[in-house]
Amino acid sequence: MKIRRTDPHTLLGAYALDALTGADRARFARHLGVCESCRQEAWGMQEATGRLGSAAITQPPDRLREQVLATAARTRQLPPLTRETSAWPGRRWGMAVACGLFAVALAFGGIAINMKHQLSQEQAHTGAIAGVLNAPDATMMTARAVDGGTATVVMSHLDGALVFTAARLPALPSSKRYQLWLMGSGGARPEGMLPAPHQGVTAPMVVEGLAAGEKVGLTVESAGGAKHPTSRPILLLSLHS
Amino acid sequence: MKDSRSWPPPDDPGEGQPPARGQRQTGHGGDLGALLARVARGDQPAFEAVYDSVAGQVFGVARSVLRDPAQAEEVAQEVLLEVWRTASRFEAGRGSGTAWVMMLAHRRAVDRVRSRQASAQREIRASSPDIDYDVVAETVEGRLDAERVRKCLGGLTELQRESITLAYYGGYTYREVAGLLEVAVGTVKTRMRDGLIRLRDCLGVDG
Repeated sequence: MKIRRTDPHTLLGAYALDALTGADRARFARHLGVCESCRQEAWGMQEATGRLGSAAITQPPDRLREQVLATAARTRQLPPLTRETSAWPGRRWGMAVACGLFAVALAFGGIAINMKHQLSQEQAHTGAIAGVLNAPDATMMTARAVDGGTATVVMSHLDGALVFTAARLPALPSSKRYQLWLMGSGGARPEGMLPAPHQGVTAPMVVEGLAAGEKVGLTVESAGGAKHPTSRPILLLSLHS
Repeated sequence: MKDSRSWPPPDDPGEGQPPARGQRQTGHGGDLGALLARVARGDQPAFEAVYDSVAGQVFGVARSVLRDPAQAEEVAQEVLLEVWRTASRFEAGRGSGTAWVMMLAHRRAVDRVRSRQASAQREIRASSPDIDYDVVAETVEGRLDAERVRKCLGGLTELQRESITLAYYGGYTYREVAGLLEVAVGTVKTRMRDGLIRLRDCLGVDG
């Protein structure tokens, strides 16, 4: 995962103005997840930017009202988030499994990271994961890999980020590893190598800077990673909202 | 009355709400928060009231960023339905209802511009920065709220004002803003932050 060395606080204004692109925005959202005073300041700034927006008031066409009200009347609403249940409608069981999976994966990933004495990095990573899981539009998807194993993705379009973890993928020879990609019309962007699994489960990876219409893919590459996929994806998942 | 009791922020890590946040929620923002609470319970008349209070602002911000009225209308529709669908996720303790709705609107408009841009790379440097803070005056002449915003924008330094208005009304990223204004990226970042702090303090007087 890329870590910026610059002071993230300087990005507060740009964040509140939506002047950060997907990757920067997700990185900053991750920082907000671990910085209470930054969250407070960001909310204050969003009040100010909200007023900028209100000042641009323009009468919309009359038909919009009817369209919106009619569509709303036949659109199901999201339930509130509560402490004891996860709030993804109709997917509670699946989400409970996913959260369990993430918890297990985090525990293992956490141990590995602690051993490297990179606590702040771990906190940021955990914050980023929590950010995606708690996003109002968080959506969970699972996909089966061609040779067995499954991947679980929780994605937030609002954050432009997703959390990826895989379970029971076929073991690879030491010269090979799984590599994660974002694949869109502009080609494939490498998003990092999947960590080695612990008891079959890989630690969660946060992928940021999602663009519309992209898919997340997994290929088998040489252990050092590749710049472009050199084999057919063993798993490809469309990231619809 | 603020019914924050029924809206505990579920993922707030302990601390509780500092009183300053509550104070900021006065005026029509507070009323919108109460309406949103009713919308979350599926109250359609409340949603109509929310629509009437924010549709012009949502459409206006989408139009400002996208320029194309047809696309602005699409985005406005998406945003207003998102308000209906996700009203239960609005957390009164985090700020006003208006700020929440405008955040959804601006973010979606900007995302639309950038996804369109990704396929048809717009050449930033060639285009001149034709959006300045006059856009506020153009679209909202005579409005009290806009007058106030304009006055507060006028109190910023030129670089602060240009950075903020290009980013907000133009939908540019801070790197693009730096390119347009021909200043260092770091300068734009700090001007955006300093400018917003000043703007917040200037606007915050009457909440």
